[in-house]
Amino acid sequence: MSSGARFFLLQIVALLLAILFGALVGSAILLAIHKNPLEVYGLMVRFNLTRADSIGSILYKSTPLILAGLATALSFRVNLFNIGVEGQYYIGAIAAAYVGFAVTGLPRAIHLPLVLLVGVAGGMLWALLPIVLKLRRGAHEVITTIMMNAIAGALVLYLLEPGLLRDPAQAGTPRVRTPDVAPGAQIPSLLPLIHLLGLRVPESSRLNWLLLVGVALCVLFWWILGRWRFGYEVRAVAQNPDAAEGAGIANQRIMFLMFILSGGVAGLVGLSDVLGYFGYYDIDFPKGYGFLGISIALLAKNNPIGVIVAALFFAFLDRGAQGIQVFAGAPREVITILQGLIILAIVVGYELLTRYIRAQRKREAQVTPPLQPVVAPAGAGEGSD
Amino acid sequence: MESPEHFIELRGISKRFPGVVANDRISLEVRTGEIHALVGENGAGKSTLMKILYGLYQPDEGQIVVKGKVVPIDTPRQALELGIGMVHQHFMLIPRFTVAENVILGSEPTAGGRLAMEQAVQQIEALTRQYEFVLNPRELVANLSVGEQQRVEIIKVLYRGAELLILDEPTAVLVPQEVEDLFNNLRRLKEQGKTIIFISHNLEEVLEIADRITVLRGGMVVGTVLAAATTKAQLAEMMVGRPVLLQIERPDVPAGDVRLSIRDLVVRGVRGRPVVRNVSLQVRRGEVYGIAGVQGNGQTELVEALVGLRPVAAGEIRVDGEDVTRQTVRAIKLLGVAHIPEDRQRRGLVLPMEVRENLVLGYHLQARFTNGPLLDLPAIDAFAQERIRAYDIRVPTTTTPALALSGGNQQKVIVAREFAFAPRVLVAAQPTRGLDIGATEFVEQQLMAAKAQGMAVLLVSANLEEVLSLSDRVGVMYKGELVAEFGHGEASPQELGLYMTGTKQQRAGAAAGPP
Repeated sequence: MSSGARFFLLQIVALLLAILFGALVGSAILLAIHKNPLEVYGLMVRFNLTRADSIGSILYKSTPLILAGLATALSFRVNLFNIGVEGQYYIGAIAAAYVGFAVTGLPRAIHLPLVLLVGVAGGMLWALLPIVLKLRRGAHEVITTIMMNAIAGALVLYLLEPGLLRDPAQAGTPRVRTPDVAPGAQIPSLLPLIHLLGLRVPESSRLNWLLLVGVALCVLFWWILGRWRFGYEVRAVAQNPDAAEGAGIANQRIMFLMFILSGGVAGLVGLSDVLGYFGYYDIDFPKGYGFLGISIALLAKNNPIGVIVAALFFAFLDRGAQGIQVFAGAPREVITILQGLIILAIVVGYELLTRYIRAQRKREAQVTPPLQPVVAPAGAGEGSD
Repeated sequence: MESPEHFIELRGISKRFPGVVANDRISLEVRTGEIHALVGENGAGKSTLMKILYGLYQPDEGQIVVKGKVVPIDTPRQALELGIGMVHQHFMLIPRFTVAENVILGSEPTAGGRLAMEQAVQQIEALTRQYEFVLNPRELVANLSVGEQQRVEIIKVLYRGAELLILDEPTAVLVPQEVEDLFNNLRRLKEQGKTIIFISHNLEEVLEIADRITVLRGGMVVGTVLAAATTKAQLAEMMVGRPVLLQIERPDVPAGDVRLSIRDLVVRGVRGRPVVRNVSLQVRRGEVYGIAGVQGNGQTELVEALVGLRPVAAGEIRVDGEDVTRQTVRAIKLLGVAHIPEDRQRRGLVLPMEVRENLVLGYHLQARFTNGPLLDLPAIDAFAQERIRAYDIRVPTTTTPALALSGGNQQKVIVAREFAFAPRVLVAAQPTRGLDIGATEFVEQQLMAAKAQGMAVLLVSANLEEVLSLSDRVGVMYKGELVAEFGHGEASPQELGLYMTGTKQQRAGAAAGPP
């Protein structure tokens, strides 16, 4: 086996060990509240994998997580910490909702791509100020994106005021939301396809085509980062900006592009809910995907394909938490603790593994046999006196 | 007490690290009162052996005998108690403290709970008198030259009662005059009965100062020889394991047209002050122009301005007549300016990336390596294979990350890359720094090959011998100005040293403070 494949396997093993570690600590907690961990975990797995509605739920939940994880990973790939995925997806979602209800009479073939692009544009717009401030003035993007999150949260509330984007038809009701988007702007359900595959996911599931868009984007970015000239420059900039500069690569341009792309992907995060489920943006619109995206990117080690797996894993745990709450009477917080522990273990584990692999690589390079025969030293006199 | 014949005996010392035997059954005797040099290529095991002696590492096998007694040395403190002191290559001094404050730091004398500063100053004065060190204990370290700072480090060790001093590459940071002063100090220490272990790369210096020389190679002792009864060539051969070309042959190339022309160049430093001042020089086809100077006199900034990494404040740079003064790094590179950067790990390589990826870094957009927006990996791999063969880069596969390579092989990657795209001008900054004899020989040969191919070579090096032996002309930089210029064979290292330290100037009024 090549050493590359061996190191890849080691990473998988490290990941599994981290999950095992989380599960063990979770077991201790379950034991402390007098639950049998094996039963609880067994129930979780059965509940998740043997019920078609659970499969549908996991896939539906994973859609925004894949996009949020990818968005975060893209910025992490150039050592920028886009903590602003949260705010970027609020803006993308409300912008898409607006174009979804305000523009009418367009066929789906035009309207749906248009609202998706508006979502992307909204996310990019919200990422623009932090990255410009970073590159021009050196303002740290963690601070500025957190600020932008707060502004986005307040801005969407303001936009839901009467007379702005609030649905006049809901006047007199406690419902604070935009009007429904036009049918042409709604993302079609994925169920027909799923049913073709033989999975009996019930009709109540809101699983939609954005899942496949997310997966496709992950594959696309994996390909670009691994094989394209652009991806090569991204890796050079991330791993040694000084050498990249010396090679004539425009560091700032690469960082700008990756951050804006991160914001653009973030703009799609909320669209599964707006355009595939509710059909409007409301005051209780789901929050927190941006922060879950950080965990997912960490777990995936910023690998776009890994993001898909990590997002599915998070959705799996989330669905499992519902299952154990209802059927095992175990608090779902156990699962939240489990998530945290796994992230912690994986960060430590990856670091140790990185050091180990580095040492191994050095060793391999050192035992490379020289290509020229080494001549024995001539006339090396011993301590002669 | 009668001092024993051997201050230290190492008996069969072995030290293994995962996958590497750093020291393999090393036996070594250091006589009381001698200067014993330890030489060897990078990775020969010198540092490991000295770290064992200084208590930083524990040997896996073997014994250390100090003054006739087998002793364990588990910590540097124990080493000091046995009279073993280490003078590190990188100084560990606090610039805002005086010499005396730095010397006593960590073992401060007290009187009734209060710092006995005056007593310390007197002790240090006594030491400097005894060993004839020129050093004022009340001077701030910030005001000292590099050579003086080194003296502080030596006094620090003597103050703690060391009888055996280990000096790790002490001359690497010094100009020739300072080396002479150091050697005088060392001889004086020896006269007073101190024992010295001297680690160095520089064979000439070793032959000058040492009584006996032990050569290490591949973690083993090749032999111990009397300095008086050996030659540089013999030592080099013992170190490398094959005959070495000590004097690189300079090809006889008639200098052609001017390829690189710099006129009245001004480059500003971090705080906006000019660090390169009105430098003008021309390098012709087939010519090597060497730049000598103490680090920090504007050479780095000059090189960075040449390759487009630093903005030019005034003046003009031309390559084959074309103005590149305000061009981008990429444009200058495409015009045929190759660059061997001073800090190869920082500027020249992306260490975590594959060797083949590093071999095209900066040239990766060339049509032969791309396929639309994609990189053409098979083409890059074929190119890398060819370069690895041509330059004998020791690497298991083309996909090994560059960080796994030795310093010499990393430099070979850079040289192999920069020479691959028909350069017209080669800017080589400190191209042999930190390399061992074998790799140095290789790089110097490549510089001469560049000359033979008609490149204009600008060679910036802190190694005066190298600059003098390879260059057709040598310029000396001092405080950002070119203060002297010599033809090949017109100046000795000592003379260059005088210009490098500002003691002498060719042009009246040059380098006299800010303009």
